Amino acid sequence: MRLRSSAVGLALLLAGTAQAAEFKWASTTDPQTMDPHAVNSAPVLGFLNNVYEGLVRRGKDMNVEPALAVSWEPIGNGEGWRFKLREGVTFHDGSSFDAQDVLFSYQRASNEVSDTRSWFAPVSDVKVVDDYTVDFMTSAPNPLFPSSIANWMIMDQGWAEANNAALPDKEAGNFATINANGTGAFQVTAREPGLRTVLEPFGGWWDEVEHNIERAEFTPIQNPATAVAALMSGDVDLINPVPIQDAARLKSSDGVEVIQGIEARVIMLGFGHEAETLKYAADVGKPNPFRDVRVRQAVASAINVPAILATIMRGNAEEASQLVSPAMSGYSAANAARPAFDAEKAKALLTEAGYSDGFSFGLKCPNDRYLNDEAVCQAVVGMLAQVGITAELDAMPVRNYWPELREDNYDMYLLGWSPGTFDAEHPLRFLVTTPNAEKKLGSWNFGGFSNTRVDELLPMIQSEIDPGKRQMMLDETTQIIQDEQVYVPLYVQPLVWGARSNVTLTQRPDNFFILRWVTVS
Amino acid sequence: MTQATDTPSTAPKSRFAKFWDSDFAWAFRHSPVAIIAALVVLLLVLAAVFAPLIAPHNPFDPATLNLMNGFTAPGTPNAFTQETFLLGTDDQGRDVFSTILYGLRISLFVGASAVFLAMIIGVILGLVAAYFGGWAETIIMRIADVQLTFPAILVAMLIFGVAKGFTPPEYRDEMAIWVLIVAIALSDWVQFARVVRGAALVEKNKEYVQAARLIGRGSIPIMFRHILPNVLSPVLVIATISLALAIIAEATLSFLGVGAPPTQPSLGTLIRVGQGFLFSGEWWILFFPACTLLGLALSVNLLGDWLRDALNPKLR
Repeated sequence: MRLRSSAVGLALLLAGTAQAAEFKWASTTDPQTMDPHAVNSAPVLGFLNNVYEGLVRRGKDMNVEPALAVSWEPIGNGEGWRFKLREGVTFHDGSSFDAQDVLFSYQRASNEVSDTRSWFAPVSDVKVVDDYTVDFMTSAPNPLFPSSIANWMIMDQGWAEANNAALPDKEAGNFATINANGTGAFQVTAREPGLRTVLEPFGGWWDEVEHNIERAEFTPIQNPATAVAALMSGDVDLINPVPIQDAARLKSSDGVEVIQGIEARVIMLGFGHEAETLKYAADVGKPNPFRDVRVRQAVASAINVPAILATIMRGNAEEASQLVSPAMSGYSAANAARPAFDAEKAKALLTEAGYSDGFSFGLKCPNDRYLNDEAVCQAVVGMLAQVGITAELDAMPVRNYWPELREDNYDMYLLGWSPGTFDAEHPLRFLVTTPNAEKKLGSWNFGGFSNTRVDELLPMIQSEIDPGKRQMMLDETTQIIQDEQVYVPLYVQPLVWGARSNVTLTQRPDNFFILRWVTVS
Repeated sequence: MTQATDTPSTAPKSRFAKFWDSDFAWAFRHSPVAIIAALVVLLLVLAAVFAPLIAPHNPFDPATLNLMNGFTAPGTPNAFTQETFLLGTDDQGRDVFSTILYGLRISLFVGASAVFLAMIIGVILGLVAAYFGGWAETIIMRIADVQLTFPAILVAMLIFGVAKGFTPPEYRDEMAIWVLIVAIALSDWVQFARVVRGAALVEKNKEYVQAARLIGRGSIPIMFRHILPNVLSPVLVIATISLALAIIAEATLSFLGVGAPPTQPSLGTLIRVGQGFLFSGEWWILFFPACTLLGLALSVNLLGDWLRDALNPKLR
């Protein structure tokens, strides 16, 4: 009897998976652009991973696997990497893929106007050997290079040039901002920024199809409570993220599953290191106190991270001591301690720095990017007030947030960073090393922090092959970052998705939602 | 004297007694709805005015907040700090009762100031349109007509957005409340202008106005000293009803996140914050501010309704 019912269940399951289905999902943030080289942010890259492909890609377990390249090998004694490309791949518009598209995409993605420029900092030259072989020459041996370009997506040269989109345009946008033409499993059939984006399977995809989706629709729902209501009523099949406070309730309701993990993302506070003066609040125009390391350390001691985790995050996150989480390679176990919450110490440090009467400044914060970002910022305002410094909070949607940070319109800001390479070198390259447009370094180091030792160590870390020596150098930089309190790492963000029970999916720790692993029964 | 109390006495009366015996006061005394509504409004206004004395905490002072008090249910002690709060706390550990009192202040202040400003603009433009006629009337009333075709809240959002773009970022928080007042006032003046113009059109042809003109009084004294007092009663009615609308407009804007800054929550901001915790069971963060807003808007509205009936001679 039992056997029979399970057999029927299996048959139903099989019948279900065979059936093509429509899938709808929602997230708080709309991908700002369909251009894979214009904005280096997880919502954009995560979404476009369904549409575009790179030479390599990450599998369900985050391991690097072949995509548009079938194999790769080091050239000589670490002078570069040779990629053998996949033959017979076509773009969504039907044109074929070859080495010229790789060269074009390299030039496009490493151009000055591209946000992905710093991915190619180690690359000195790219040579097309034949139609299906490309050499990437690196200025120093770079063992991590293939895994560092998993999010670098290949665009068709002919399509981009014919549509005047040979270069990305971050601000004004161009044809590639609202249209897409990749080689991926799905193609964009409708795009209404901020409203909806429709994806349909690409019939000519080279890889084996695992999903059973015939049409997928993405809707940005900014209000988390609205998203939860939409999931419970069945209007959407998946939401990312689930508001932390609603996870418990969703777990106990029928027809809905909560999928939880620890994300690779560390939430931290950043400072204006270079700014001469304060830009906001009552003390605007006065010398910038955050140039003094004691003030930055005071901020670190003033923030009661355990309290934030216990209340706002409801015990669903872990404290962070450095710019990467313990799950990343290169994590510095030697520097795993975070400054403890100590308001008295913070006050003492402020007095020592000459700010016993406090000061006021502007804190910028996104309100639709990270889990409970605005609530965390409000809590930070309260905690800083308790040690005598007044933060004026300006919370805004992420589409206004990045431009504000790029224009240095902040005194302090909130940032979340998820290393695309899953390695501790990634945040060094983007967030800590001295900004240098020519060398494609420090592109997200908004505050302009600069330390000669870190700048010296970074290329050595990038080319070191011996893991022990590499870790020693990473430990040293982590130590410098902690001593200088370049950032104040707060916590590692939890990953909480909610899905209808009939949806089977894979959750990757980089919070990318990969549609081709979804089946709806 | 054996006179009945409601027959007019010949003795000179105090101002209060005169008012007490007026038709207006009589109508008020005989309308239980008006009395209850007035009491609720009075109570809420007093609570707002004396908020610093009544409230156990100052929720606008972030230095006094303890995050560990967050999400405390009404009347039950917090698991970490053992503190008890009458109406519970929100996600930041702010006492909901205190926050409502302070939020009420902002809501009432913004609502009343916006209506006052709208009234001044509307009355002046309405009087000018009616008294001078011609192109002044055409321009003013066509602007009013155009504005009426847009929902008021949309106009307010537009004005708020434009004004925010012009204010220097370092003053944005201080300016937010004033910008909000101006935005709501500019979306609301049309009602006043139309009513005043209508009433003033009738008044301006009456003998007393013509007499004033004959003895050579200027336009402005005639408009404001002679016509205005005679068109004030409909203005009063509109002002009361507009107050309820302005309070709701402020709450709507703050609910949408474009009004009062999050560190200085008005009732609308509180409802916006509370709405995020509706599914997770922290109902009190939304419920109490919403009830307060409901009570306030309903009472002011009922009072306005009653005022319209009481001041309308045709309905008596």
